[in-house]
Amino acid sequence: MIKANFKISKTSRFDTEEKDKTNENENEKELTQTEFEEFIIKSGASGSFMVFRSDKPEEELGLEEI
Amino acid sequence: MSDKLEFYITDETLQKMLSIKKEMGYEEKEWDEWFNHILKIIFSPKTNQSEIEKVMEKMYYDRLYENWVSNFALNLHHVWNESSAKDLDPSNNTEYEKENNSAIVIGSGPSVKKHRHLELLANSDYKGTIICCDSALRNALNAGVTPDKFPTFYVTTIDTDQIIRKYYDDPIVDAYGKKIKGIFSTVVNPLVTEHARKAGIKIYWLHSLFDYNEGKKSFNQISALMVRARKQRGLPAIQTGGNVGTSSWFIAWQILKCGLVGLIGINHSWDEETPLVDIISHGSGLNHTEIDRNSSAFEKLFPKIYNPEFNCHCILDPYFQYYSNALKDFIARSPTWVTTINATEGGCIFGKRITCTKFAEFLQKYNK
Repeated sequence: MIKANFKISKTSRFDTEEKDKTNENENEKELTQTEFEEFIIKSGASGSFMVFRSDKPEEELGLEEI
Repeated sequence: MSDKLEFYITDETLQKMLSIKKEMGYEEKEWDEWFNHILKIIFSPKTNQSEIEKVMEKMYYDRLYENWVSNFALNLHHVWNESSAKDLDPSNNTEYEKENNSAIVIGSGPSVKKHRHLELLANSDYKGTIICCDSALRNALNAGVTPDKFPTFYVTTIDTDQIIRKYYDDPIVDAYGKKIKGIFSTVVNPLVTEHARKAGIKIYWLHSLFDYNEGKKSFNQISALMVRARKQRGLPAIQTGGNVGTSSWFIAWQILKCGLVGLIGINHSWDEETPLVDIISHGSGLNHTEIDRNSSAFEKLFPKIYNPEFNCHCILDPYFQYYSNALKDFIARSPTWVTTINATEGGCIFGKRITCTKFAEFLQKYNK
């Protein structure tokens, strides 16, 4: 077995609290992935197709020929 | 302030890490630098994909991917022998000016019936292109929006389920089929294309993009290669936006090169008076889940939004959130020569680069 040692910096309490507040606000606005996934699975509803995403934004608007 | 964190890894894990670190060109560099590089790759936002889109992507792969592959295999012979949607591109004609050509995309959202848009269109002298979503075809033809009146008439299908065949299984479709051009994805169910073909609809193929970005081993790239094995040229590949309405908007400008695209029946949402069971089941009427209408989860899953352009409220379900966010994103990013006019008079499609107007005004103003 190899033992690894890492130095970690403690985040200040202030930073943590601020981050929690931000997350709280975001959660109020956005549906969490778990909530969404749970509903989709349970509902049995289905859509037509999926949205295509790419790391090349221009590809997302379609390709003349492939 | 700092502390030391201690943990143990096996020799095998260490050897793997050393090997990958070396392969990635970080052999001589600090471990911290390499870890940061890896974290950046893992967590940096690669795409515009939202959390909802990630869930949907997983759901589609789990439920439908095998059908797509199977449908493609069964369609391939026809794809080789029938036309490419590229053949519909008018820009080879040097006299064609995309800025002077318009299309109306007809969806089957509730606003079409509510505002009698099909009757308005049937009684108009609109001279542009008609692109009818498959689900709207029978109603459009029955209302007098026919290829006899509008000779440049297309129908589009993207959904891969065989249930779509019902949209082509109707005497009125048989009556007009020979005058309609059908634009179909290579992964639609072959029973659907069989019905369309039987009705006399001439089929033009294109690819639906979904995993092209994953490289040569992606289904999009492999299937394109299989098509090109027998066809001299490849097929166009479109962003479907997850549904036939958005696909039709893309087809209007990307394939048919219409600079002005009008939308009717593209609500991507429910009216307030829609029964809850339809909203929860995305229109299937089958309710497999119980949701407390007063819960915060319900509000997030089915937000009610105000459309200031049409002064109305509408309700989105998860699928409509998924579709509408994507469509609005793509309209905002579309080429500057594309103008999108939403004449749905309802729904949730408004925002950047979307001009909203009444359909009657659209017909008066953009009659070409």
